Amino acid sequence: MLAEPSKWDEFLAGFELFRDPLLCALIAGGVLGFLSVYVVLRRMVFVSAAVAQSAGLGVALAFYASIHLGMHVEPVVGATLMALAATLLLMTEPTKLRLTRESLLGLAYALAGGAAVLVGDRIAQEAHDIQGILFGTAVLVTPEQLHTVAIAGAVVMVLHLWWYRGITFASFDRIGALVQGLPVRLLDGALMVSIGVMVGVCARALGALPVFAFSTLSAIAALMLELRLPWTFFVATLAGAISGVGGYLFAYFFDFPVGGSQTVLAGVLVAVAMGLRSLMGLFQRAR
Amino acid sequence: MKTGDVQEPQAFEHEVPPTFTPGEPLLTCEKLVIGYNDKPMLPPIDMVIRRGQFVAVVGRNGSGKSTWFKTLLGMIQPVSGSITRASPDMRSAYVPQTSAIDSLLPIRARELASWGRLRGWSFLWPFSRKVDRDAVEKALETSGARAIAPRPYRELSEGQKQRTLLARLIATEADLVLLDEPTAAMDAVAERETMQRLCALARKRGLGVVVVVHDLEVAAEHADILFFVDRETSAFVVGDAKTVFCHPAFRRQYGDEYCHKAPEGPHRGPDAR
Repeated sequence: MLAEPSKWDEFLAGFELFRDPLLCALIAGGVLGFLSVYVVLRRMVFVSAAVAQSAGLGVALAFYASIHLGMHVEPVVGATLMALAATLLLMTEPTKLRLTRESLLGLAYALAGGAAVLVGDRIAQEAHDIQGILFGTAVLVTPEQLHTVAIAGAVVMVLHLWWYRGITFASFDRIGALVQGLPVRLLDGALMVSIGVMVGVCARALGALPVFAFSTLSAIAALMLELRLPWTFFVATLAGAISGVGGYLFAYFFDFPVGGSQTVLAGVLVAVAMGLRSLMGLFQRAR
Repeated sequence: MKTGDVQEPQAFEHEVPPTFTPGEPLLTCEKLVIGYNDKPMLPPIDMVIRRGQFVAVVGRNGSGKSTWFKTLLGMIQPVSGSITRASPDMRSAYVPQTSAIDSLLPIRARELASWGRLRGWSFLWPFSRKVDRDAVEKALETSGARAIAPRPYRELSEGQKQRTLLARLIATEADLVLLDEPTAAMDAVAERETMQRLCALARKRGLGVVVVVHDLEVAAEHADILFFVDRETSAFVVGDAKTVFCHPAFRRQYGDEYCHKAPEGPHRGPDAR
């Protein structure tokens, strides 16, 4: 009698199938991990949630347009456009409207979530896709999705490494940067559009939940280690990539949903970083 | 060596030259009306900030100091009037309160000081040039922050943070420097030391230094000229400590005590008496 092939053998045999989702998770996790340092340090954690939720609405609207209006709109285009619209709304100076930033976040999050439910009700045949967007079921990623994530990720990373000094200065001392003549609005806009585009394209490919996790928990893990700022960016990138790829593999080998596994692994990395920080503290005291 | 073992520098540039004559005008406000949404906050302001001059801005909370400050920085458009700079490429720098730099930000003092070298679109060159690195090291030395340069900014004392921000300021090579309550949260010794450093910077490097301060005695002791801003009485008073402290609008807010104690004439530096 032949022995049943192990999960690992199955994985290697079908690697062609898994290569694209793994690559997609690696790129999305890495780039969103890099951006997460800005998201966390600028206290925009729920910006990421609201933008991801809006991306979900964008996908629902794209399906609705195809089914009921006969207009073919790629779901990734819908996700990116809605994510960008939410980003632009959140870039509005809230004091001009006599509101707080939290109010705008609440508005974007609740409106996008509610509208996604309404639109989803009218496109029952695509309900599974909507669920996938919101909670992450990235078992398979189409080549188009991978290309979109790869191109957007490459553009964002090149821009951010090139403009690193300007974006960090403008992000963490806005007035100082303004007085020294830096184009603060452009730099701020570049950061927000980067977040909007990456959240939009990644939410379509992987789902909003893991995208939210990559764009927040990666930086939290890195900040725990109290490294220099450039190293914090590097470790956050690494943590995001590990969460993406590791979560996918964990989901495959233990038969769990992918999005949930990636999210939980990102949380586990935060716990590991906390443990490392405690160990480093003990070591320093012992010296 | 542990970070806690870092030795404080002993020698730094803080001695104030005994004689001083203000230089050319750096910034001139003519009939400048400040306010929001075209609503004037104060009467028209006429004043000049000169090279080498140390200016203290005083006034109560909500008096219009911040609005005036932001207008000078170009963050708010004036309602009317003009602000003329000595030259279009004149460099300005701003030093925030030490608490304005987020305590979560894992940045070293040296890196924070290096932001002083960024100007305009210079960030498009992604690496710092040797000339910039040398300027930052020199600025750290001058401000007495060299020993603390490798340490995380958030772990520094208030005085050390201020020295780091001064290093950033020196690294900018600015002509006009604006500081928002640089001595807030400092003890009396650190406050005095910071004001002496600023005074020395103004004199030795010929900078125009404008400082918002709440401690009136410190302002009177160090500043060449004081600006008193008061929205309630629509007052903008310019002059030496005696002139400002004895002005009716000032006395209405702070009482007569400061008028009696105020020194006569412009400041000549704390070491020059």
